[in-house]
Amino acid sequence: MGEYHPPPLPSPFNNTSPPPTLLTQGAEAHLYKTTSLDPSIPAALKIRPSKPYRHPTLDRRLTRQRIIQEARCLAKLVREGVSVPALLAIDWAGHGGEEGGWGGAWLMMEWIEGSVVRVVLEKWEAWMKDQTLDAASVEKEEKRVRGLLRQMGAAIGVLHKAGVVHGDLTTSNLMLRPFGTEVVEDDGNPSMEGDVVLIDFGLASQSSQDEDRAVDLYVLERAIGSTHPRSEPMFEELILGYRNSYKGAVSALKRLEDVRMRGRKRSMLG
Amino acid sequence: MASCLETINLPHLPSSLPVHVALYRDVQNAASLKGHLLAGQKEFEYAFIDASMVLSRAHVTAAVFRAVNDYMHNRLQSHNVHSEIVFSLNPTNNIAESFRRFGITDSTKDLLVIKVSVSPEITHESVAAHLSSSVQGTPVPFDDQTLSEVSDINKIKKAYKLGALPSPSSPNDEAKQRLEKSLLSAIALRGS
Amino acid sequence: MIAIGMEGSANKLGIGIMLHPKDGSPPQVLANIRHTYVSPPGEGFLPKDTARHHRSWVVKLVKQALKEAKVSVDDVDCICFTKGPGMGAPLQSVVVAARMLSLLWGKELVGVNHCVGHIEMGRLITGATNPVVLYVSGGNTQVIAYSSQRYRIFGETLDMAVGNCLDRFARTLHISNDPAPGYNIEQLAKQGTQLVDLPYVVKGMDCSFSGILAAIDGLAKHWGLGGEEKAREDIMQTADVKAAVDSSDSTPTRADLCFSLQETVFSMLVEITERAMAHVGSKQVLIVGGVGSNERLQEMMGIMARDRGGSVYATDERFCIDNGIMIAQAGMLAYGTGFRTPLSESTCTQRFRTDEVFVKWRD
Repeated sequence: MGEYHPPPLPSPFNNTSPPPTLLTQGAEAHLYKTTSLDPSIPAALKIRPSKPYRHPTLDRRLTRQRIIQEARCLAKLVREGVSVPALLAIDWAGHGGEEGGWGGAWLMMEWIEGSVVRVVLEKWEAWMKDQTLDAASVEKEEKRVRGLLRQMGAAIGVLHKAGVVHGDLTTSNLMLRPFGTEVVEDDGNPSMEGDVVLIDFGLASQSSQDEDRAVDLYVLERAIGSTHPRSEPMFEELILGYRNSYKGAVSALKRLEDVRMRGRKRSMLG
Repeated sequence: MASCLETINLPHLPSSLPVHVALYRDVQNAASLKGHLLAGQKEFEYAFIDASMVLSRAHVTAAVFRAVNDYMHNRLQSHNVHSEIVFSLNPTNNIAESFRRFGITDSTKDLLVIKVSVSPEITHESVAAHLSSSVQGTPVPFDDQTLSEVSDINKIKKAYKLGALPSPSSPNDEAKQRLEKSLLSAIALRGS
Repeated sequence: MIAIGMEGSANKLGIGIMLHPKDGSPPQVLANIRHTYVSPPGEGFLPKDTARHHRSWVVKLVKQALKEAKVSVDDVDCICFTKGPGMGAPLQSVVVAARMLSLLWGKELVGVNHCVGHIEMGRLITGATNPVVLYVSGGNTQVIAYSSQRYRIFGETLDMAVGNCLDRFARTLHISNDPAPGYNIEQLAKQGTQLVDLPYVVKGMDCSFSGILAAIDGLAKHWGLGGEEKAREDIMQTADVKAAVDSSDSTPTRADLCFSLQETVFSMLVEITERAMAHVGSKQVLIVGGVGSNERLQEMMGIMARDRGGSVYATDERFCIDNGIMIAQAGMLAYGTGFRTPLSESTCTQRFRTDEVFVKWRD
């Protein structure tokens, strides 16, 4: 059982100097930070290596299909003016033409500054734990979080309005990009000023169905419930932000009630 | 005529493949340049692009990157990497159409010229010398400021079927960024 | 401590006897026997017939197990039985037998969740400490990971179980159900070379098989590969005929369909397992359940685990396929924490989720 080594970078990124830095390795993809085609502007590079466990034909089909689907969603959302990382370049063919070659695929995206909402909320919850605040200050603090949640709801609404569902909404897939470039110094209590940007469209698809939209919200609701207990009671604020963001929100939210009732729990037959 | 030829090492591409770019205004001999190109004269193997169809540096470099990456991996769909650059600007797979839209025409006044060092004898000097003897026009810097004076936003939007997008009103406003990002993704996704 | 385990949630009737030595040394399997109800080719097993099978064999098997284990009734501490999930009638016939033995011998009852039985037996046999578990059988398809006293379901099938999908395709092809339809599909798949396109349905950590079954049934029909006639050709075909068939790659063969079905559904299973491993940060994966004895699935899972710097744990058919010893093992763990099932509550249930069990015996 050796240590894990990420696979070598595909061409042309074996030429990149300095080499891209590995940030995260999920089940499907590895995320790197590198530069865009302008060396002064950073970019995110997502690599989907080929999966040697599956049949090469199936592997190519899936890798290609998924990276193109992700890229198409990003392209569509950028055109619609939704806050997502822009698609900069992509290679879905692996190199060396139809057969043979490397078999993986990559996608280069705009780099988004800021932190993921998970980190913002975790910092805030940790900070709150250490404080002894009077009722007025608690209210003021919670008001900030409510504002953030409302913005998150609005961002998701705009996404849904554009005809895309995310497929994997968690607080790790929502970023808070600070306005301007100045770094706000915090005393452990994070700033909640900024734009909410949606990231990681690896499981996204084009859909305008209430069911898919409701499942997006439900998945996020559950994720917030399990990772941010202190913020969970304020989830209603997210719903509020969502409700006011586009026309179809009302029927998607009605569907959310059903999805909640049904839950993910399914009785298994033996 | 003073040379304004810029040589760029695009990030991620091998340093052995630098890209030479020159932008000219008030070009007088577009028809003859196009003739040399169509005659297949080796020394006129350039990407000759009608600069009115170019929004920004990022727009051009995206097309160059795509073409050179396809070149490196033996996936060219046109004759050579230079024709592939023109083709790469196109949002669809129609090569002839890409030349009609983005390539040099007899009436081209603003011309963007690109040459990739695909062989060792192609150097900054050799390209600069050849261009200054063959292009009759005013060399200008290849930058977003200059391009913003040259580009025909409506024609660009039409070519990419992006008519619904707001038009930029200043060289770096939000509308320009959104349009640029939309162009980059169209270039990236061609043929998907 | 000695426990008898009684399992009969599907077409296997299993009786196992497990010893947990008082000195804390490793548990010992004293007996693990099984009798399978095999239905004719082209047919599945019906609850009524399966229950009848279990009723007529259960006494014989218990007697034989005690004899093999060389223990007397007095040595036995408790009787563990499968409470569910499973098919109603077969479950019921075994729980009645368990109750009878409990009353007859004056032994306490322990009702066991079938899935937890698989997991605990897998952990015991392989030594995997805290693996992500892929539980794949004719009735279940789940990706499970342990967290604070529960085996939590991270992903599962949205419709039919993967084993059911394979079994039903075996019926389409009229493949023998002896020893198991999945086993015979696996053998036939080894001769397949051509991958046909099938739907591939993964949603996050969940997956779906019904569309795949419909598609491959359709292909079998289209190419005229289903039914009894064609099944006979499998047996008739000699090696060189097969080679000749393989070299042409226009028309898929029966073997190609089995191969394609396995490649597709197993890829889905490995994918959702990998996602769960990444999610919980585990490098171990344990495969349990009848489909887990498929060597191609084990191989694929092994490659995935290796690429993540981890390893795969699997058991052979004695412990993978439904058996009595796993019920004894999980029952004994619960029994050790004081868990008992009073006679009045010794019922069975077709629906019993893995995450309903309070796992008191783990930290």
